[in-house]
Amino acid sequence: MIPPQELLEENPNITNYIDEDSADNNLKDNEDWTRKKKHVFILSSAGKPIYSRYGNEDKLAWLFGVMQTLVSFVQSSGDCIKSIHAANTLFVFLVKKPLILVAVSKAQDGVQQLTSELSYVFNQITSILTLTRLNKIYEQRQNYDLRRLLAGVERLIDHLLDYSETEPSFFLGAVECLPLSLSVRDTINSAIVAACNKIKNLVFVILLAKNKLISLIRMKKYCLHPADLHLIFNLVQASESLKNSESWTPLCLPRFDSSVKPNSILLKKLRRGNCLEAINESLNVKDESYTTADFQEIRHYLYKCKSTAQFYQPSIGPPYTQTTEHLINVYKRAHHKLHSTVRPLKLIFERNSKEAILAWDTKGFELYIVFEPLIDTTKAISFVGKLLNWIKKKEERIFHLNAPTL
Amino acid sequence: MSSSRKKVLLKVIILGESSVGKTSLMNQYVNRKFSNQYKATIGADFLTKEVTVDDRTVTMQIWDTAGQERFQSLGVAFYRGADCCVLVFDVTAPNTFKSLDSWRDEFLIQASPREPENFPFVLLGNKVDLEPRAISSKRAQQWCQSKNNIPYFETSAKEGLNVEQAFLAIAKNALAQQNSTFDLYNEFPDQIKLTNTQKPSSNGDSCAC
Repeated sequence: MIPPQELLEENPNITNYIDEDSADNNLKDNEDWTRKKKHVFILSSAGKPIYSRYGNEDKLAWLFGVMQTLVSFVQSSGDCIKSIHAANTLFVFLVKKPLILVAVSKAQDGVQQLTSELSYVFNQITSILTLTRLNKIYEQRQNYDLRRLLAGVERLIDHLLDYSETEPSFFLGAVECLPLSLSVRDTINSAIVAACNKIKNLVFVILLAKNKLISLIRMKKYCLHPADLHLIFNLVQASESLKNSESWTPLCLPRFDSSVKPNSILLKKLRRGNCLEAINESLNVKDESYTTADFQEIRHYLYKCKSTAQFYQPSIGPPYTQTTEHLINVYKRAHHKLHSTVRPLKLIFERNSKEAILAWDTKGFELYIVFEPLIDTTKAISFVGKLLNWIKKKEERIFHLNAPTL
Repeated sequence: MSSSRKKVLLKVIILGESSVGKTSLMNQYVNRKFSNQYKATIGADFLTKEVTVDDRTVTMQIWDTAGQERFQSLGVAFYRGADCCVLVFDVTAPNTFKSLDSWRDEFLIQASPREPENFPFVLLGNKVDLEPRAISSKRAQQWCQSKNNIPYFETSAKEGLNVEQAFLAIAKNALAQQNSTFDLYNEFPDQIKLTNTQKPSSNGDSCAC
């Protein structure tokens, strides 16, 4: 990382652009745009715009030039720009050949978190194009305008970014399961195994509902990284066609295979199928949410089981029904502190006027509990034990354990 | 979606000795403004301009550079993937003409385009409103011919003379280059993979029924 002063000293005004009246009015006119809490940009190594979360990337072409120049300038001294910290704005760069991804955030995210979000976005692109192909394109033509190939993928990226702001699964690196009784889950699993055993070269079968995992059955020798699962979840969620019909989509899972070969994944709504239909119906009925009735001062919590990379959360209730993003940010900050590379922590208890949070990282699990702000510390700690017991009891229901393999 | 397909973005780099009028040309072209005051560009300047060329909306991403050597350390990556390079000299200053060769060479080394001999350059002789003239049109044109017929325009950023035309030619040249290399690269090279996966896919269908 280069301290901004140094950048500025050597090149006092890398872009003397916005000065005077050289009115490319895009920014001045558009307060909406400048006020956005988090921008994400994707550009080619040549500085050609590929994606901007907000605003027309063509109109922002000059800005992409600035970003590429910053990257290029730092590269020329054999270094790599990671972030720029300016007052309350954080600029994070992810240079992933042949692309450059940039996040600009005023939302108090950490560098690590933004970098990981940018990696997700990069993986989303490679899941469609594959890394091999992406590299080949730019080897052949450095000036290629990737938007040609990504028409339609912008929507996936938009969705991914929205999703990551309202869902704990991304920063936790875990997936959420649909609570089900063990017997129902077993029936589903054996039905799937029976149906799919005949199919050759089938590596994974994933059954999901409303972004929650019902079943994941895999070939014995392969594992699916949660990051790849998120991409699949995102794809299913963001594509209407996948929701309404059976479809076949080629997809490359970046974590599974360092994308040398595209894996083709069969994504299906298993709504049809004689045995599955009845079970699916019971699923909808059983979609009860686990409230925290026994623990009144607990507003919400996250429990991540590390060995399975799955997590559980109760449904979000007041006062966060309208401000889910705030709650997610509280969690993100706590997660960031637990996993800070500079000074990782094991246990945190923090209180402010809005809420109190307890975060605990152990060998087997991570636990985050958001309390009423006035909760007594000893009481908060006593809740931890009770909550853990409760989760232990419900474990079979809320997690997908002991999945059979193909 | 189909509209984004038609859209094209061109990376255009402007090079030349300091104070030949690179920034002024760009400002005249994009903002239709001119100032007599000289302000050296530090590092680089960027502007965006949309033009229509043969029914296509083309966005020009113009990378204006610093002519002064001490501001030129922007890194190799800066020049990469350019679609056109505009060389500018001052018709009243012979040294700015003489250095064109080295600017051109430098660009080709840094940007390392696939086909250097066919890379689209455009030469602008600026400040034609000023006297006395040091470089004749003929001399400039000869240089252009020797470099695989680079298009040449005489411009005045101050009076807006020929600026629009020059940039239109820049866009056209860059576009022509893009179109000519289009076949090099297949937009859908993955057909083979479809046939590879056809078997499991059809099996899957029959199974789920």
